[in-house]
Amino acid sequence: MNSEPLESSTIDRQPFIMRRSLWTGFIRSSDTFPERPALSAQGKILTYRELRDLACRIAATIQSHPQYSSTPLTAVFAYRSPVAFAGVLGSLLSGNGYVPLNNTFPLERTRAMLDRSDCRSIVVDAESLPQLQTLLAGIQTSLLILIPEVDECRTLQEQWPIHHFIGLRDFDGTETWREPAASDNSTAYLLFTSGSTGTPKGVVVAQRNVISFVDYMVERYQINENDRLSQTFDMTFDLSAFDMFVCWERGALLCCPSRKALINPGKFMRDMELTIWFSVPSTIAFMKQLGALKRGNYPSLRLSLFCGEPLPVSSAQSWLEAAPNSVLENLYGPTELTIACTLYRWNAASSSRESELGIVPIGYPYPGMSVLVADQNLNEVPPGGEGELLMTGPQMSLGYWKDPEKTAAAFVIPPGKTDIYYRTGDRVRRPVDRGPLTHLGRIDFQVKVMGHRVELGEIEAIVRDATGFDGTVAVGWPPTPSGYGGVEVFVEGTASDPEAVRRSVACRLPDYMVPRRFHFMGQLPRNVNGKFDRKAILNLLEGGL
Amino acid sequence: MNQFDPERLRVFLRNHVTEKLASQGREAPKELGDDCDLLLSGMIDSLGLLELMTAFQEHCGCEIDFDALDPEQMTVVGPLCDFVSSQMARG
Repeated sequence: MNSEPLESSTIDRQPFIMRRSLWTGFIRSSDTFPERPALSAQGKILTYRELRDLACRIAATIQSHPQYSSTPLTAVFAYRSPVAFAGVLGSLLSGNGYVPLNNTFPLERTRAMLDRSDCRSIVVDAESLPQLQTLLAGIQTSLLILIPEVDECRTLQEQWPIHHFIGLRDFDGTETWREPAASDNSTAYLLFTSGSTGTPKGVVVAQRNVISFVDYMVERYQINENDRLSQTFDMTFDLSAFDMFVCWERGALLCCPSRKALINPGKFMRDMELTIWFSVPSTIAFMKQLGALKRGNYPSLRLSLFCGEPLPVSSAQSWLEAAPNSVLENLYGPTELTIACTLYRWNAASSSRESELGIVPIGYPYPGMSVLVADQNLNEVPPGGEGELLMTGPQMSLGYWKDPEKTAAAFVIPPGKTDIYYRTGDRVRRPVDRGPLTHLGRIDFQVKVMGHRVELGEIEAIVRDATGFDGTVAVGWPPTPSGYGGVEVFVEGTASDPEAVRRSVACRLPDYMVPRRFHFMGQLPRNVNGKFDRKAILNLLEGGL
Repeated sequence: MNQFDPERLRVFLRNHVTEKLASQGREAPKELGDDCDLLLSGMIDSLGLLELMTAFQEHCGCEIDFDALDPEQMTVVGPLCDFVSSQMARG
């Protein structure tokens, strides 16, 4: 009866029947395991009941201020604190999606995100309060500001009469929380990724996208209440959504290291007796250098997952020596396809053979996700051929926030297809027979810096703006097994005050995007077409510039 | 006083950090006190930390097992130098 070829995802395009919301799993776990620990952060342990109480009070307070509901989003300006996690859950329980903000990012970037999101409510933790003061200076619309770690906010309220501050004492009670109505496209989160025009792009991910992902993950990995999961990713990185929602779906414990503890992940892993580890592959190289990957160092791990950048074969092998009881999987996926959409299980017998360029394959699509490997004209390449990876299915996000042009450019209907596919910009090899997909690099100038996706064009745009010189080329440097260690910038021209340029660029970009060196030159190398010659520029760096 | 004396290691670390900052067009602070946290003060990031550890190992001419160092102290000038010194003393 079902004669649909596998590539067609008509089934997935049927209207989604909303059985539940993204928060449903957490609430069910808190009913089943109220006294079990749900979260360890900032040296505190919160039980499911405690986390639910705080989240429900946040939700109820947002719900009782409908004048701040013109956009169904709540910002969470908090970093690795209990309030950060309660803020995420509180946003969802109120019926809103969450917009993570990061107090380690430059304030100007945070303000641009808040501005662009049109959020009218924001949850703030104590550590972000000093920054909030500066942030508010540029905000013209009235905001509802929830600060769970202070009792009352009289001083702040007097200082900023345009906004409405609420401290914990004046939060609504848990009993006043009302289950929000779920619709097909209820938002889970709005995340900003690096954009090539100098402004970050907002990706809108629906709850049904994340639910589809989480359902598969908890079944595949048989997550249970005795599991202890790492939370290495900042919330501004979408991989953090795996940690939170996969963990809470089954009553497990989420272990969030502090910024300092992340410097020695091995000690954190042992201290917390983690059973599940999830990080970028760069962490492996880092730990190797620290001498933290000694044989059998991490016997408690039963599952190790890596995502966010190419995973070198040598890294996978070193990791498994240190975590001998662990299964290792390599996950792949852009934010636009919700966290991860292909995966590959490492197998000592066959994986080295299946790997290409010393990089572990990205494997096979998640259930319901369809793959198309296409040439420049978006026509499918033959098996064994190279091309751009396009995917569609239940995890395909709703597109870019208030940006129909960029959405139309990246979410396309390829020739001969009827479904919309997302263009990942990643170059892969189409498998022969039932082999895995292998990742071969980027098709454009997007690079990975310590696991972060970086559009070199965005950095160039900001440096051009700071110097006034159009001739600006950013390159990833130095190369590492899985991307680049940082970024360096070449500018055609001389700066009277290089330090001022650096300062002005640094306050507009997160740390990992700030160029580690600026090279001001009379003339930049160009190729025969008169374009800047990136290869010649890289040769300069290789020559020890 | 040998070259792995904690005080000498402090001088070495200071020179390394100053050099790195200069290559990024940044100025090093006049003082680099024992309680200065290189990470939290923004002087180095995790890549910078690796470079520093590699530099220490090259300076000392052998591998140093940084895994034994408490992460709270790993990026703090005084404890870091004392740790490297004690590792060298143990041989």
